[in-house]
Amino acid sequence: MTTAYVPGLEGIVASQTAISMVDGANGRLVYQGYVIADLAEEMSFEEVAFLLWKGRLPSGAELEGLSLELAGHRTLTQGANIALDALPVDTDPMDVLRSVVSVQGVEHKLAKPTIPLAIHATASFPTILAMFYRRQLGLEPIQPRRELGHAANYLYMLNGKESSPEVVRALNTYLVLLADHGMNASTFAARVIASTESDLISSLVGAIGALKGPAHGGAPAAVIEQLELIGTADKAEQWMRDARKRKVKFMGFGHRIYRVYDPRAKILKEMCRRMNPKFYDLATRVEEVALQILHEEHPERPQSTNVEFYSAGVLQAIGLPREFFTPTFAVSRVAGWSAHVIEQAANNRIIRPQSEYIGPEPRKPVPLAQRG
Amino acid sequence: MAEFSPGLEGVVAAETAVSEVDGANGRLIYRGGYLIEDLVPVATYEEVAHLLWHGELPTEKELDALRRQMAAARKLNPSARGTLAAMDSQTDPMDVLRTVVSAQGAAKALTKPTLEEAIALTAIFPTIVGATWRRRQGGDVVEPRDDLGHAANLLWMMEGKEPDPERVRWVDTYLVLLADHGLNASTFAARVVASTGSDLTSCVVGAIAALKGPAHGGATFAARSMLDKIGSADNAEKWLTDAHTRHERFSGFGHRVYRTYDPRAKILREMAKNAAPELYKTAARTEEVALQILHEAHPERPNATNVDFWASVVLTGAGIPKELFTTLFATSRVSGWTAHVLESLSDLRIIRPASRWIGPQPGKKPVQLAKR
Repeated sequence: MTTAYVPGLEGIVASQTAISMVDGANGRLVYQGYVIADLAEEMSFEEVAFLLWKGRLPSGAELEGLSLELAGHRTLTQGANIALDALPVDTDPMDVLRSVVSVQGVEHKLAKPTIPLAIHATASFPTILAMFYRRQLGLEPIQPRRELGHAANYLYMLNGKESSPEVVRALNTYLVLLADHGMNASTFAARVIASTESDLISSLVGAIGALKGPAHGGAPAAVIEQLELIGTADKAEQWMRDARKRKVKFMGFGHRIYRVYDPRAKILKEMCRRMNPKFYDLATRVEEVALQILHEEHPERPQSTNVEFYSAGVLQAIGLPREFFTPTFAVSRVAGWSAHVIEQAANNRIIRPQSEYIGPEPRKPVPLAQRG
Repeated sequence: MAEFSPGLEGVVAAETAVSEVDGANGRLIYRGGYLIEDLVPVATYEEVAHLLWHGELPTEKELDALRRQMAAARKLNPSARGTLAAMDSQTDPMDVLRTVVSAQGAAKALTKPTLEEAIALTAIFPTIVGATWRRRQGGDVVEPRDDLGHAANLLWMMEGKEPDPERVRWVDTYLVLLADHGLNASTFAARVVASTGSDLTSCVVGAIAALKGPAHGGATFAARSMLDKIGSADNAEKWLTDAHTRHERFSGFGHRVYRTYDPRAKILREMAKNAAPELYKTAARTEEVALQILHEAHPERPNATNVDFWASVVLTGAGIPKELFTTLFATSRVSGWTAHVLESLSDLRIIRPASRWIGPQPGKKPVQLAKR
């Protein structure tokens, strides 16, 4: 029995999952039963990663155990260090992440995806990015600090000094908010790879490749670029109406699933107001105009500011360079990817859909000498 | 919302003109409408790659140009060399391939997939496979030769000596047969990655990651390992009966799509008689007994020898060590993967399916850490 072709598999159920649910109609994102708004500013990234992997929040002792395990796996293998140095300093950080995660995870024999392997991979992402960032700037690498949490240590390794509690908290909230999001394209790529009984690192490397695309994780830097082009709030309407005539896409708008305001965008917007007022003033005006124009063009479509729009302002306030916005998305999402891979492996069936042939009817090939 | 079909079985996820698996009639059709059995006698791997990319078999002039272009793209760049050297020599060859392809394609900025990149990527696979084998054997890496065809150059880089033409032909035919196969899991992974607007290297890395799984590309190795355990034609019946009693799966049997004998397996079976006469005897008896046992167990199921079973025999005869089988599969399929990615660009839409929530009822309130 074959069903009709649905472009992009929109609305087609590809998996059953207990990890997260995007309730687009009601604007809810749910992790293992908890609504994101209840987790975002209360939980550490470590607690949420535990939740995604194990299905429940950790006890104090379990959280301590996980934190130690993460801290103990922050250093790169010798191979990963060599590979990191082999890549030119102007390489796209997503390509660095894809390549060095691949080296860090090489094995002699195929291993099944497990939570310990998920922890090790999650621990390595900030180190890879921070080491590369320091190298780009011609600065000495900073060794990880075991007593710092995941967000604090990432910032410490990037900057060589501890960040303020407010900044650490903001990054932590960002990491919590982005950690999972139903069957998005990179998570789905990870599950397709896992479905062949491949290893966890292979799934993660594939997911990084998918996240890189501008239609998925590659957009937050573009939000900043567009805001810079607009310049100031009073120029927003003029610029955007002109841009629309040239068919320029508004960056940070549109989502396939949410029919109301994305709950993550709401939290990030509030964080921008507190931490990045300059961005906030411009961005809220741009948002207002963008939604107005989009509504005029397509009154039937719902409001659609997406998570990337205000992510950009938060990551900017944290002091991350824009080339590291999408890689930092990966620092968060690796928790969700690995949880999905483990879930897929536990109840697996190879993901092998059908295609519809649109080529010519069978015919005979002509030998080379007679092809003219 | 649609019903959940595990593994997306029967769900059409793409329209394609690159290839069609007509499972009911046991036909594999490559782009342009050519049946696989008609192509094998008239076309080399390079011609088939051209066909998959362009939709037409090349003229002599076009083929000459393609061969030159591939020969010129056989060298690893410094990033890829450095990354290769970063891995220990006994690393799983698929992990080496995944990593070195990622490093070779690491770029400054995101670019749209192009045909030139597809050609360069296809050209580099034998170099990586050859170097992997040399390193595994403790030998020096052999530089590619630009006067040899794709299959011959692969054997040259593995062995450092001019290969026998008959072995070249066996490898070449294997490469032709495996170059594409509808929306298999690795090709689908490549298309999912492409759907986000990501680059060609990311797509191919994701596809390698998926091919690695024993339920997909790893099956050829498993088939050969089973034949090794059986050891001789005389032992086949006893070994298979015992294995069946222990509920072990027979490697090299079963396919989701074919309802008659896989046309590729048929061609490889015939080749195996010359390529590996001794192993052929064991394999032929194994097939006979296995099909009989499977038929008795499930009389309703169709005949099910798959391509991996006979590919393992032909590759053995061609002198390919079994540790490299999956990388040979990748060396062939990369032309299909890239053809699918290029095809998908004409109507790119993010592949973002839905999932069904099987977790706890949303809305439970998280308990504070101290109270857990």
